[in-house]
Amino acid sequence: MRGQKVSILLGCALLCSASLLYLGLSGIDCPPPDHAHRHTWADAHLSSTNQSQASPIYYGEDTPLIFIGGFPRSGTTLMRAMLDAHNAVRCGEETRVIPRLLAMRASWSRSARERVRLDEAGVTDQVLDSAVRAFLLEVIIGHGEPAARLCNKDPFALKSLSYLARIFPQAKFVLMLRDGRATVHSMISRKVTISGFDLTSYRDCLTKWSRAVEGMYSQCQGAPEGSCLPVRYEQLVLHPEEEMRKLLSFLGLPWDPAVLHHEDLIGKAGGVSLSKVERSTDQVVNPVNTDALSKWVGHIPSDVLHEMDDIAPMLARLGYDPLANPPDYAWPDPIIPPNNYTLLQRTETPHPS
Amino acid sequence: MRVSARRVLTGLLILAGLFTLTQFLRFCLPCRQPSQGAGEPVTVLVRDGWTVSSDVPMVFVGGVPRSGTTLMRAMLDAHPAVRCGEETRVVPRILGLKLGWAAEKEGVSTMVLDRAVTAFLLQIIAGHGEPAPLLCNKDPFTLKSAKYLAHLFPNSKFLLMLRDGRAAVYSMISRRVTIGGFDLSSYRDCLAKWSRATQAMLTQCTQVGSKRCLAVRYERLVLHPRSTLQTVLKFLGLPWHEGVLHHEEAIGKPGGVSLSKTERSTDQVMRPVNLDALTRWVGHMPPDVMADMDAIAPMLQRLGYDPRANPPNYGQPDPQVLNNTQRMSMKGSQTER
Repeated sequence: MRGQKVSILLGCALLCSASLLYLGLSGIDCPPPDHAHRHTWADAHLSSTNQSQASPIYYGEDTPLIFIGGFPRSGTTLMRAMLDAHNAVRCGEETRVIPRLLAMRASWSRSARERVRLDEAGVTDQVLDSAVRAFLLEVIIGHGEPAARLCNKDPFALKSLSYLARIFPQAKFVLMLRDGRATVHSMISRKVTISGFDLTSYRDCLTKWSRAVEGMYSQCQGAPEGSCLPVRYEQLVLHPEEEMRKLLSFLGLPWDPAVLHHEDLIGKAGGVSLSKVERSTDQVVNPVNTDALSKWVGHIPSDVLHEMDDIAPMLARLGYDPLANPPDYAWPDPIIPPNNYTLLQRTETPHPS
Repeated sequence: MRVSARRVLTGLLILAGLFTLTQFLRFCLPCRQPSQGAGEPVTVLVRDGWTVSSDVPMVFVGGVPRSGTTLMRAMLDAHPAVRCGEETRVVPRILGLKLGWAAEKEGVSTMVLDRAVTAFLLQIIAGHGEPAPLLCNKDPFTLKSAKYLAHLFPNSKFLLMLRDGRAAVYSMISRRVTIGGFDLSSYRDCLAKWSRATQAMLTQCTQVGSKRCLAVRYERLVLHPRSTLQTVLKFLGLPWHEGVLHHEEAIGKPGGVSLSKTERSTDQVMRPVNLDALTRWVGHMPPDVMADMDAIAPMLQRLGYDPRANPPNYGQPDPQVLNNTQRMSMKGSQTER
């Protein structure tokens, strides 16, 4: 009896050590992470068009991508989550690498000497653009599930809006705009670090917000007709259906009521995939709400309040009254079109009569 | 033997235990990252219907700058089956960018990032020149990432140019060739950096393995070009072609050697292979540096360059090279360094 027990135990011990040895030696393949599904453009295309192609399909510049961006803390995650809820669209989490590549590309073009050196090496703008395109497509396509319309949300990618419009002529851009005071308050109170921004100073952050938004906004204005739509965060949360209908029409997509209930599709296949490390995840798991609209009121130092228009001229330009704390978001001032703005400035200077 | 229910239960429990153990081990033991070859190769459309995949044969030429990398790629360019072309300048930058990203927790998986980098590299390497059966890229510092490149491009090979560090450093200082991280006002600093960079690249080369990475001595290339190039071409799996010994005749020709007006070695590489640059460094090393040479640049000794010999005996030149060198000095070419 005892002998049998001992031999059984011995047998188990041998089995255990044998499997340990085997596993240790041969190595185990890492389990694929949830969204490491490699989907070629071919797969995505095939699944959406339900046909088999004899020749392989290659990534092209005509891909009708959607780029969502804007200054961080302006509702970019909410926007992409709502679009992710649409059955034809997939955005996914921030890639974080796309803005860095675009910034590097921009730096190569800025130096005239470097451009000469690159040209001499045969690395022309055309070659560089093909390379950037290939990189972006691999990231965007491989980043999540296939979809008929692929989308990317990296807030600062739109600092290269004009460039993206050039290399992807069929792309559409959604520029999220928000009252800079709310944006900056969100950054500072939630301690969301952005390089170059001093989180101890409302003045510094508002100044830089204004400059950054001006850059992106002017590129949006200058983009080919019908390719860039600015969307105000306040309007999105106050009138979500109206705004989403406008947006989907702009994107050439059919209406899908799911976009108004993105919170129901979180973590679901074909729905909204959220990142554990992104700063807006805890907010965007909730349905669309107006909680964050005026949280900033009373938090801005009074000296900054007094000089608000000088510190952040983009507030007025975008239709946010710099002296109202808060403005009535329900009745927004219109965004001043560029032509009218310069006219306004001219009429303000007194003419000697 | 009758099998009692108790025995069966015990047996099942043991199996369950083993199963749990293996699953537990799965998470404890380091797992293998699925190789990029697990998916399809990355394919890009370069232009006019010319597509290139990441599994094409490719060769990366590199080494510390001023070690004969341009000469090597020019000689390879003279071979009809190879096209290297000029330094792209951007290949090392994207590799550097990727290195920085790997440390952080990024929003994309490693596999996707690798594919994206591969696609970018393919577009640059293929797109900046003419098609050829063997594509080649020469950006000196890429050999610091040889292991990564070997992973991205499964059919790639590597040529690591090695040279007496004193000669390389003399060349960069006297010609004022700015290289990131090298202080051109200090022989000591440059020699130390040369040693470290050489060691890093040699380590990568060793890790890639002798079937895929070949170290080539500049001195041997200029003293015995025929035999050295025979070794290189054999390593690359290419047939011999006499043109590689006369690369200067293929400059600017289609299918030949394309040079950049802004690259620092262009003026040298326009001439036939010669011995001029072998020992120019002698007499230019500061005495305090010479005294500490082995401590400053340990790789000299490791590579077989006697740190106390000024210069070491690199060997006897082939008659053809001697001929070239003499012809050029007779033509009264301006003093080069």
